[in-house]
Amino acid sequence: MRIDKRRLYHLDWYLIINGLVLFGVGIFNLISATSSFYSGSFNFIIKQLVAFFIGNGLILIILHYDYRAIAHQSKWLYMGGLLLVVLVLIIGMAAGGAKRWISIFGINIQPSEFMKPIIILFLANMLYERKKHSVKLGLKDIMRPMAAIFIPALLIIKQPDLGTGIIIVLTGFSILWFVGLKKSTYALLFALGAISPFIAWMYLMKPYQKMRILSFINIDADPSGFGYHAKQAMIAVGSGRFFGKGYMEGTQHKLQFIPEHHTDFIFTVIGEEWGFFGSIILFLLFAAFIWRCIKIAQNANDEIGAIIAFGIGTMIFLQFSINVMMAIHLAPVVGIPLPFISYGGSSLLTVLASTGLLLNINMRRYMF
Amino acid sequence: MERFIKDANTIVDSKYTWSKRILVFILIILLVRLWDLQIMRGQEMKRLSEQNRIRIKKVVAPRGVIYDKKGRILADTRPSFNIYITHEDIKNFDQTIDGLVSLLKISKEEIMERLEATKGLPPSFPVKIKSDISMDDVAKIEANRVYLPGVNIQIEPKRFYHYGKMFAHMIGYVSEISDDELKKKEYKDYSPGDYIGKYGLEKAYEAYLRGMDGEKRVEVDSRGREVRTLEQKDPIPGNSIYLNVDLDIQAVIDKALENRRGGCIVVDPKTGGVIALVSRPAFDPNKFASGITKQDWQAIALDKTHPLQNRVIQGRYPPGSTFKIVSALKGLESGIINERTIFSCRGGFPYGGRVFRCWKKGGHGSVNIHRAIVESCDVFFYNLGLKLGVDRIHEMSDIIGLGRVTGIDLPSEKDGLVPSTEWKKKTYGQPWFEGETVSVSIGQGAVWLTPAQLVQLASFVANEGINYKPHIVNRIVSPEGKVIKTFEPVINANVKLKKDTIRLVKEGMKGVVNEGSGTAYGSRLENVSMSGKTGTAQSVGEKGRNLGDHAWFIAYAPSDNPSVAISVLVEYGGHGSSAAAPVAKMVTDRMFNEKKEIKEARLNENR
Repeated sequence: MRIDKRRLYHLDWYLIINGLVLFGVGIFNLISATSSFYSGSFNFIIKQLVAFFIGNGLILIILHYDYRAIAHQSKWLYMGGLLLVVLVLIIGMAAGGAKRWISIFGINIQPSEFMKPIIILFLANMLYERKKHSVKLGLKDIMRPMAAIFIPALLIIKQPDLGTGIIIVLTGFSILWFVGLKKSTYALLFALGAISPFIAWMYLMKPYQKMRILSFINIDADPSGFGYHAKQAMIAVGSGRFFGKGYMEGTQHKLQFIPEHHTDFIFTVIGEEWGFFGSIILFLLFAAFIWRCIKIAQNANDEIGAIIAFGIGTMIFLQFSINVMMAIHLAPVVGIPLPFISYGGSSLLTVLASTGLLLNINMRRYMF
Repeated sequence: MERFIKDANTIVDSKYTWSKRILVFILIILLVRLWDLQIMRGQEMKRLSEQNRIRIKKVVAPRGVIYDKKGRILADTRPSFNIYITHEDIKNFDQTIDGLVSLLKISKEEIMERLEATKGLPPSFPVKIKSDISMDDVAKIEANRVYLPGVNIQIEPKRFYHYGKMFAHMIGYVSEISDDELKKKEYKDYSPGDYIGKYGLEKAYEAYLRGMDGEKRVEVDSRGREVRTLEQKDPIPGNSIYLNVDLDIQAVIDKALENRRGGCIVVDPKTGGVIALVSRPAFDPNKFASGITKQDWQAIALDKTHPLQNRVIQGRYPPGSTFKIVSALKGLESGIINERTIFSCRGGFPYGGRVFRCWKKGGHGSVNIHRAIVESCDVFFYNLGLKLGVDRIHEMSDIIGLGRVTGIDLPSEKDGLVPSTEWKKKTYGQPWFEGETVSVSIGQGAVWLTPAQLVQLASFVANEGINYKPHIVNRIVSPEGKVIKTFEPVINANVKLKKDTIRLVKEGMKGVVNEGSGTAYGSRLENVSMSGKTGTAQSVGEKGRNLGDHAWFIAYAPSDNPSVAISVLVEYGGHGSSAAAPVAKMVTDRMFNEKKEIKEARLNENR
């Protein structure tokens, strides 16, 4: 199958530029964030750029196929993804410790990341007919989608990767809401939402994760442990004030007061070095990107495209807002990368593939 | 059908609207929070982040160097490694403390004690835990850095005494300032862990030697490691001091008094400049400078031989026969005796129902003042003393400076005692008995003098009625090499004595060393004529045990134009002639042989 040349005219250049700017900001910021590492910035930047080029290749492949065709085959992707997640669990257990990634040819990949868009595709394929006919989902109807969400989510939380698990659950539920729910289903989901934290606390969460929650509630309870990092992150962002300390001038991350300041805590670097001003610009870039996702969903040719675009927009929105909230002590510390900005090949590939899907949907919004 | 589609669209549309509303809502929350953190509380957060990264560290100023008269270094500073703990940077208190205990030879109690002492200070204040650790320990700490957050190794100048024990009592030592001292007003610009002169010249000249500590603003990382220096105020080194002391002479005495107890002081009678000052037994000042251990301190403090005592200025002993010079001076000066006055010595002097013995059992026969000094006849001075009365002896002593502090530039000098009727009345409320005068005239009884006071007597005779306050420091020189203070000789006694008085006493003292019958004939020198007076003082035995007599010798040389005055005391040394005089001989020999050699060398040059 060849891409119709006319389709290329309908490539969403707005989204492309928005994404490129975000990625550019990310790379630029990553140089500063990794400059204090013993090995220097170079390796990080190279790896990130390699992931970016692979990601672009992935976009081209995705554009090549109709998103509907991809969604129709999503059960294979889903099963493959699930297999990898289980594999990580098994390898992790065999290694006698927690593991979130598997090594393939020396490259560490994090299957839980890839699981996020796969589930979106899977749910879209499962539910688009319902949406098309505006059939609200009853209790019986949400059983299959719930299983599709929770099986991978629980496995991922078990890894333990609480952050990605939460993103998957929240994105999945958002899609269910987007498709439309009956009142009774709302009631059930609210009940579920109310008890799930307790279930998670009792059965799923590891002691260190519980510590994070506790230190979120009382930041001074453990001033040397998790509370300490949360506090240092807050100090970093706050000390940036209006215009920030300047590029490469952030002392909090450079002097190692903040762990994971190149991945999950990357926003502290922006907040510290670029201040309120720079943070607003970053927020606007994300808001515009997410806004665009909603727009693409609205303009999509069919419900399957709308659900996919909405799901991706939700995913990016959740990751962005929770990640930032983590850094400014509005959310407990869970491992969630900031799309486009955080260091990490799997995360970047996932975001780029998702962007590919968005472009795909947008490009095929007209019938010829 | 159309209505249905329209309905469906509105339902879907409302979902999009809600999505956008949620997006905007969350964005507003984020912005409000950012505004709060970065704008409202930005100042505070900035301060917190600065506090995180910036530490103000003291840069200890190197203490002033101490030189001898020839510019040889006696004490200076060298780098040492000290361990500090910064409370604020400790992540896990027990881990850090236990780590230190297992790596260094230090007990947990000692660490806790030190932390306790600095309780009132901010948690960012580094507390010194151990001073002058070895390179091995430095390596151990460095290798385990990761497990010891909050622990820092600081390189700081440390006092080093090149000759150790040799100058212990003169130069003294520096040591960490104590809690009690810190509470005193005069030490208000010192902080815990600072070193301060505690003894000897280090204490007396603390203000000059100390210098001004500098300050360094450094950036530290989350483990408290220094990353870079942001700003530095360089320390100003302390001023150097040049002494009147001659290292060679000090070394001669140091060797002569090795394994003995006693003291020796050598001064230049023309200026009061101290050429050497040795007290034995001594301690090692370097032990104090590197943070003395409890055991070492106790060993020194509890030592029964009192190594911390500077016997030259703090040891009070009966002067014995050396005191006869005072009696002789007053007798001749007051005209009670003259050159022709003769007393008969039969080996004893009956007075008040008892017999005061002369050291020579057979007696000296008919003795004039010259023989009385040369042969140290006791009976002659018993007679003289009775004629003089204690008050006149006291009067002469007071002029010379005996019985009171000499004013030497060392801390904690002790006075002495030359009794008088007034003194007895004041102290005991009793009248003076003439019989006591008999003992005092030969330097026994209630006469207590330090070696430093007796060197004043030697100087007094050598200088014919003039002596100066002994002074160790010659000049103080700033780090740039500018002389900022010199010390002019300060006159202690200046009296016009009769020519005959001076002549007779000087001839007598010359005879002591140079005449065959002199008590110190054994210590005569070939090239130079030394004058002196021996003394053998009965000691008040410790706990009733008599350990022997104290040996004294005071001297000056050369006899005709003296340039050195010496006072030697050997505790329980026995006879002054055998125990003390040889020390003076060695000093004189060393001083004047060297001068002769130099003269010869110059002659060779001129040829």
